[in-house]
Amino acid sequence: MELNNEMTAQKSLQLISETLNNSRRSILSNGAKYFILWGSLLVIFSLAIYFLWHTTGNPRWNLLWFVMPAIGFPISFCLRKKDVHVPESFVGNMISHAWKIYCVFAVSISVIAVLLVPMFLSFAIVLILGMTMCFTGALLKSWIIIIGGFILGVGGAAATMLIMSDAELLLFTVGGLLLVAIGLIEKHQNK
Amino acid sequence: MLPKLDPLLHSELRLGIMSILAGVESADFTFIKNQTGATAGNLSVQIDKLTSAGYINVEKGFKGKMPCTTCSLTSTGREAFENYINSLKEYLNAGAIS
Repeated sequence: MELNNEMTAQKSLQLISETLNNSRRSILSNGAKYFILWGSLLVIFSLAIYFLWHTTGNPRWNLLWFVMPAIGFPISFCLRKKDVHVPESFVGNMISHAWKIYCVFAVSISVIAVLLVPMFLSFAIVLILGMTMCFTGALLKSWIIIIGGFILGVGGAAATMLIMSDAELLLFTVGGLLLVAIGLIEKHQNK
Repeated sequence: MLPKLDPLLHSELRLGIMSILAGVESADFTFIKNQTGATAGNLSVQIDKLTSAGYINVEKGFKGKMPCTTCSLTSTGREAFENYINSLKEYLNAGAIS
């Protein structure tokens, strides 16, 4: 009788754990493609702007960054229509909010830096990109993403102060590749 | 003396429903049906039992023109679910000691 209780208790806990994990996987399954999309755009834009700045010597090519959201958001909107309907979860909502807040901060300080007060833009953007990546990794319980985000944020911020040239754009290429990696990890985990 | 397991939660399908709802803010009937693999009829019966006990809250509405039933865990349900898990752990600990 005691053994039956123990077996039932074990089976029940296993059922709870499996159900929670399956449900979590289904809920997060939509997110992967957005990481791949924004990561790919970041890689393409950082390389393109680096190439143009490097060959012409004109830093005004950085204004092309503002084209990235203009391309990314309409594509995101189209992809959202194809999303599988899943319930809202705490983890999914937190990841979504974190990246929305990152976008607002990145665009706002870029506009301020271009129009009002010059500042070390790459330093600030790489730092908050790394922080947001770390936060995403913590929510997804992925050490690869946490460590990648930390190296990108802290190492990248330090590197921007050391490089101080067009080559610092290549840090964003690394950031983009990390975003694509997050997307691929999520896609693989949620299969 | 080991605690008595909540008989309402000590059923595979009802426990599955509670586990799904514990991880989300709310879930619609179709999602719960797909996740549990239960038939619509059986699922409705079990959801009614959990609703009668005050463990879950059911809202019937429309998504576009389609009817949509949304379920969420109540505070009573969350407490019962946590108590159930704690009871299960006590059973396992007792088994490990004996």
